[in-house]
Amino acid sequence: MTESEISVRSVRAFVRSRSRTRSSAVDRYVTAFCVAMFLAVLGDPLSGVLAGLAGPADPARMGAGVALIAMALTGFLAAARAAGPVMLSAPDASWLLLSPLDRRRLLGRTGRALVLVAVVAGAVLGLGMLAVLGAPDRLVWRLLGALVLGVSASVGGMALAVLGQASQSWQVWLTAAMAALLVLAVVAVSGQLRTVLAIAASAPLPAVAAAASGAALVSALLVRQAWASLDKIPAPVLVTASTRAGHVASAAAGVDPGGFTWIAEDNHWRARKLTSRRWPSLPAPFALAWQDWRRLARRPGRLATMFAAVALPAVLAQAGGSPAALGAAVLVGGLAVAAASTSGARRDGDNPALARLIGVGRRPALAARALLPALLSGAWTTMALAGLTLAGTGAGIGAGSESWWLFGPLVAPALAAGALRMVRRSPVDHSLPVIETAGGAIPLGPVLWAATGVDLALIGCLPAAIALTAPSAEMGAFLAAQAVTGLAVPAGYVWRAKGRAGG
Amino acid sequence: MYDLIINVEDLTVELGGNPVLQGMNLTVCAGETVAVVGPNGSGKSTLLRCLAGLQPAASGEVRVFGEPPADDGPFWRRVAFLADEPAWYPGLTAREHLELMAAVHPEARMTVEAALDVFALAERADAAPLNLSTGQRQRLSLAAALLRPSTLLLLDEPERGLDADFRARLADLLDAYTDEGGTVLMATHDPGLAARARRIAPSPGVAA
Repeated sequence: MTESEISVRSVRAFVRSRSRTRSSAVDRYVTAFCVAMFLAVLGDPLSGVLAGLAGPADPARMGAGVALIAMALTGFLAAARAAGPVMLSAPDASWLLLSPLDRRRLLGRTGRALVLVAVVAGAVLGLGMLAVLGAPDRLVWRLLGALVLGVSASVGGMALAVLGQASQSWQVWLTAAMAALLVLAVVAVSGQLRTVLAIAASAPLPAVAAAASGAALVSALLVRQAWASLDKIPAPVLVTASTRAGHVASAAAGVDPGGFTWIAEDNHWRARKLTSRRWPSLPAPFALAWQDWRRLARRPGRLATMFAAVALPAVLAQAGGSPAALGAAVLVGGLAVAAASTSGARRDGDNPALARLIGVGRRPALAARALLPALLSGAWTTMALAGLTLAGTGAGIGAGSESWWLFGPLVAPALAAGALRMVRRSPVDHSLPVIETAGGAIPLGPVLWAATGVDLALIGCLPAAIALTAPSAEMGAFLAAQAVTGLAVPAGYVWRAKGRAGG
Repeated sequence: MYDLIINVEDLTVELGGNPVLQGMNLTVCAGETVAVVGPNGSGKSTLLRCLAGLQPAASGEVRVFGEPPADDGPFWRRVAFLADEPAWYPGLTAREHLELMAAVHPEARMTVEAALDVFALAERADAAPLNLSTGQRQRLSLAAALLRPSTLLLLDEPERGLDADFRARLADLLDAYTDEGGTVLMATHDPGLAARARRIAPSPGVAA
């Protein structure tokens, strides 16, 4: 044991000895018991799922499935990069980071936690991969191979993200890896990889073993390199990541997910150089709402990502998604797009000081602020539904008629109203009771918080939701009903809106 | 135009069961500058929140422009209230926040350029407010409050974060505001600002 290791350990032991929440043997027993119970409960359904993976997969769905896995891995890498991924707790970042303690030893605990997270994510990826490619023979060995490949990909990716924190050149490699995954997703969903995937799905076991071994070797090399680079990560980078993690932890501990949005926005704009542009001459409510338009115009990357995601329901359809899942994907996607363009209402809902200075009435402000989310969600749902129709999966949405896209503009006002209600909701009320049910305890506060906004969107989109989740050829009545609810629900919401100036 | 802008009678406010204001009376006429002074916890900010309609009274009556204050659009078009730092809109610069204020209030008291100049923000006009110093953000808040037209200005410790030079300039700006017929009521710990106003204490027994 080195002197530096002793130092870090002795410091941590000292901190633990002063902590009021030292874990006792009983605490550790309870944790181990809970984990064992969780695994026991999970064991039966998991073995059922694994048994269902035996047999060849549908070649027509392989491309879309691989695309979804590639996008999931890209999302995992993007999340790792956004988080840091190497960070410390706020006290450690304040007191231990800028001390003479050995940096690598200090960050070792974080490194081990990152490996654990990557292993879990990799196992899920591996299972997904097996579900897509199927297991024509020797399920156990193919499962093992898929798990090794998935874990190697996620652990290697996490190592790449750690290396990217230490050096700009590795950051380029990480970006290149993410771009390659996205290209793979596009190529896979276009059907160009059908032959390659068919070969991969029926590959003999020695070939699977060779691929898994190669991936594990590359991953191990990256992990070794990342471990060596831990003491080269600049302190300011670690402090920034740790501060961000501290804010996120506070928001999570207080069950205040709205806080995440504030943190992400503030971090984004703090790092940008802006140039002022003249404010357009508009009536007061629209002048107020123009803030969201300008913010959106200053984030073209986000807009592009938003509209690139219109292909997701079509990819899901190709991967064999049920009509209910496709309908839900379209409406949830539209709601998410609407909610992403309501930052002004969110700010004024959380802190109305600026809204009071601006002095626009709540109803005109809300009505003006609904315009952009309605436009974006309308365009998004229209394109997503058109994509489903073009994908022509043979059943469900897109079958029997080419007019499904008409639901897009009709659901847009209701989605905008739902998004506005969502971003203006109060923080979680932890004083509400926890309801004991046969299926377990339900904390009413978080449930009501999560349902606020979604409820209005669902009511406003009910005819479309029924038509999309249980498609039938008779769409006329649903379209007419949607036209009525799509206008009545947001109008009622704006009319009944209570609260402060500025909406 | 009401001659009597603020009329408070026998106002009592309790926070968490503790009386913060007890039997307070206050009248403020148009064109007056009133400084609410007193130690921390004496109820200065609570009084301002009552006048802004944000804090319900346990008993007594509060009237602003002859009516109980209401947290709605018509009230805030006549009253500018500046307490804690506002939450700035994401993606806008300091100048654009002032442009927004001027766009919403066409009868602005000064142009955006003049406001940037008066509040010494011209050099940082393209910065996002989060990248400004504490004092600069307070100047931006004051610029927003004084750029827009209003009849009553409620300020809670407007000197917060400001250097001595700018505090003196702020007193001149408030004088100019009242010269135009506006009314100022501020809670302050700054002797210079308080000296140029009628001083009142929110709690009995506190020297004004």
